[in-house]
Amino acid sequence: MILGLGLIGVAIGFAIWNKPHENMAKSKAEAAVEATALFKEYNTDENAANAKFLGKTIAVTGRVKESSKTEGGPAKVTLETGDEFAVICELDALSQHARTDFPVGETVTLKGKCDGLNLDVQLSRCVEVK
Amino acid sequence: MIFCAAFFVFTVAASAQSGQKFFTRDGKVKFDATAASSPEKIEALSNSATCVLDAANGNFQWAVLIKGFQFEKSLMQEHFNENYLESGKYPKATFIGKITNLGEVNLAKDGTYNGIVSGQMTIHGVTKEVTANGALTVGGGNVKVNAGFSLQLADYNVSIPSLVSDKVAKEAKILVDATLVPKQ
Repeated sequence: MILGLGLIGVAIGFAIWNKPHENMAKSKAEAAVEATALFKEYNTDENAANAKFLGKTIAVTGRVKESSKTEGGPAKVTLETGDEFAVICELDALSQHARTDFPVGETVTLKGKCDGLNLDVQLSRCVEVK
Repeated sequence: MIFCAAFFVFTVAASAQSGQKFFTRDGKVKFDATAASSPEKIEALSNSATCVLDAANGNFQWAVLIKGFQFEKSLMQEHFNENYLESGKYPKATFIGKITNLGEVNLAKDGTYNGIVSGQMTIHGVTKEVTANGALTVGGGNVKVNAGFSLQLADYNVSIPSLVSDKVAKEAKILVDATLVPKQ
């Protein structure tokens, strides 16, 4: 009996320890926002914007300014904001992507986790929303 | 023609040495706090650190968002953010300092130089003075930065519960790797 409970405990512990990362394709966006508006909110009041977006899955729509792949790093899509700085979406390493190269000027929607403001607004674990 | 080329080289070199700034938004920062006795690696990587280096005065600044660190294990990432670094409250880690031996580093001439960097590191809302050595490789107009240093988690008020102290080290190793390009 005690051994049985112990084994169940170990199994649960093991499952929690190995729980998978969130599936971004299925992750529900808690907010949908234009890249320009998102950047403006961060640029105006970083703390207020963090309270609203930080750590959340959000869908951002904007015009592609740049699509890049750094050496040994992930693909990133930069969305225009009308400012020198932008909204940068790092594509998720754990998801399948129909494409990782986005033509400059195209309007796209990407969904990912909002990491905050570091000159640009940065999102990680992004997937394209069709 | 030769004169023009020489003039061009001279002006490029002069501008690189005076007002030139180098920049990246794709800096890699690796965090490793694996205890010697841990069977699993406690490490994470961010590919989105920003870094600015001012060639004129050696000013050197870094910033990285805590939530951008990706761990292999989801649970580790959750604990790192929620319990240890409290990234909801302190979303950014920054370093503001300068290259203190700028006289020995010629950012206008290709080569690899040993740079000594000293300044203020802010993590988890705590600011500490740090000094680190790193390699600065100048080539193709860019500056590549490679450095590794260690920091004590307790110095930044990051406490590790005794339950996981056999896995999480008290000292974290930080590795930075970035290619800085001239800022327009």
